[in-house]
Amino acid sequence: MTSKVAIQRLATGVPGLDEVLGGGLPEFSFNLIAGQPGCGKTTLAHQIMFALATPERPAIYFTVLGEPPLKMLRYQQQFSFFDSEAINRSVRFINLSEDALAGDLDRAMQRIVEEVALHSPALVFVDSFRSAVLTGETNGEPPNRLQHFVQRLGMLMTSWQATTFLIGEYFDESDANPVFTFSDGLIWLRQSVQRNSMVRKIEVLKMRGQASLPGLHSFRIGGDGLEVYPPASMAIQSDGQAADGAATASPPPRLLSGVPGLDAMLGGGLPRGYSLLVAGPSGSGKSILAAAFLAEGARCGETGVIAAFEQHPNRSRIRILADLIQSGAVGLLDNRTADTSIDEVLFKLLREIRRVGASRVVIDSLSGFELTLAPTFREDFRESLSKLVSTLASVGVTTLMTSELEDRYTDLRFSPYGTAFMTDAIIVQRYIEVESRLRRVMAVVKVRSSAHSNELREYSIDGDGIHLGAMLADQEGLLGGRPTHKLAESAHQGQAS
Amino acid sequence: MTADSSRSSNTDDSSEEIAAWLMRAAGAGAGSKEVVATIVAVFQDLDGALTPIIGPRGVAALFHRSLHLAVRSQPLLAAAQTGTPTTMDLNGLKMQLAAQTPAVAVAAAGVLLHTFHDLLGTLIGASLTERLLRSVWPPLLNSTPQDSKS
Repeated sequence: MTSKVAIQRLATGVPGLDEVLGGGLPEFSFNLIAGQPGCGKTTLAHQIMFALATPERPAIYFTVLGEPPLKMLRYQQQFSFFDSEAINRSVRFINLSEDALAGDLDRAMQRIVEEVALHSPALVFVDSFRSAVLTGETNGEPPNRLQHFVQRLGMLMTSWQATTFLIGEYFDESDANPVFTFSDGLIWLRQSVQRNSMVRKIEVLKMRGQASLPGLHSFRIGGDGLEVYPPASMAIQSDGQAADGAATASPPPRLLSGVPGLDAMLGGGLPRGYSLLVAGPSGSGKSILAAAFLAEGARCGETGVIAAFEQHPNRSRIRILADLIQSGAVGLLDNRTADTSIDEVLFKLLREIRRVGASRVVIDSLSGFELTLAPTFREDFRESLSKLVSTLASVGVTTLMTSELEDRYTDLRFSPYGTAFMTDAIIVQRYIEVESRLRRVMAVVKVRSSAHSNELREYSIDGDGIHLGAMLADQEGLLGGRPTHKLAESAHQGQAS
Repeated sequence: MTADSSRSSNTDDSSEEIAAWLMRAAGAGAGSKEVVATIVAVFQDLDGALTPIIGPRGVAALFHRSLHLAVRSQPLLAAAQTGTPTTMDLNGLKMQLAAQTPAVAVAAAGVLLHTFHDLLGTLIGASLTERLLRSVWPPLLNSTPQDSKS
């Protein structure tokens, strides 16, 4: 008879980390959290500890020679996960600095053994491990003794049924330390700096017994601690957010845009699940069109999400949008923070979509979105945009994206990134000069797999939104920016002849 | 009343409250010897509660800083500033207080303990201070140390 051991996986309590780990932390595993000073190792350890520790499953946090415990407690309690009531109940801090300062690894081990035997913790943290090792080296401990120390610690913790974390400062993986070999899990935190931009990244180099997600994943440290951003495809898989295949197989119903006349131009509205790019110069009314799209959804009983990368929608001059956000019909992803990554934006967007049950999403604007990306991610902006569009399509939402279009009258462009082909539909807005006035026109350029109007229609904007007018049939050369009057032109030609 | 005078008044009240508690803990009619033993026992409990967490050096540093601050209102504590900041040496305090009347000794110890409590509160916040000292130091829990978090 064979019976394989079932390894329980612990949820770390760190948003996004369990997906990167491959399903959580294996119980009784011996893990190393490494990285440069200031990269968030201690915060990660505390966040995991407070999430997992209970009176029945207590934790011991051994402080060795890292930051002084008083300072650590002072700063860590600024995070929302820090629970003072848990101290000495489910979380116990034990200071080993005296033993470490004396460079006595045996004594430090003895203290760990005593405390573990006394309190039977299910979770053990040793912070920082490298300092103990360095102290040993300074005191002439031969390397094999250090190796022995780590081996003993690993054996001890596993047999005491404790999930263990060694926190240490390691600057690169070439630092051939025996602990790398013995550990079951190796979590590396990094900081990538490019000019004034700093991006935090996490990498799971090793996690025995399960398939962790390879590569670097961006994360951010906020008031709630770390938030890790796994690839959006993983986030969708893990919470079953993917759109129902059956729904996409049937002919998609169309969504109304909220702008009278525009739905007819689109061939009866925007097909559900499509992505629409609204491109136009500054002040052409892209955001107003986007607000109308969300308001129409609310009128039909649908909820929406707006990812704002420019002006704050709550303070927007578009009153209707501010009201929709206030009422909860539209969720707001206020993402004007710098140095983001596509995975971070998608993670937050999907979370907001899930939270409000959104079927309509507005991204205002792609130009603002690009600016919030850390320089290191801007190089891959086309790829990022493609990922954004395909991910939103995969969860079944209908997306409207605005894009700032540089005023050019010598060539016809729909997006400054050459990404127009990624979207299913395109509306372009332009300014034209007629009789010394700046007037606006728009056209539906593309609706994939659907008939649509080819009219170039004038429109106006007032307090009630966008109003489509007629075609300027008596003008030609509109897209050149300076149209000419056809009748006047022909009359002129008639006189000449 | 200004904010400073209000704070000073609260500090005085808390210190007096601690002094009264020390006197009660020493027992009715206690002499200097019993009072000093009670005070030293409180500091040892304090040491016992905090040393496992912040280490002996951490506790010693807090103790020395508290003495330094408390001397302003209790000059007699100046002579208690002995030892190195790496250990909490209670001998100086013990000798100095033993030379005082019980009332003077508990008054000085009340200020010192309150200062210690307040100092810890400014560093790790009121709630964590309360949590760490709950088992050893009930009378201070009613007072409100300066809280760096709230």
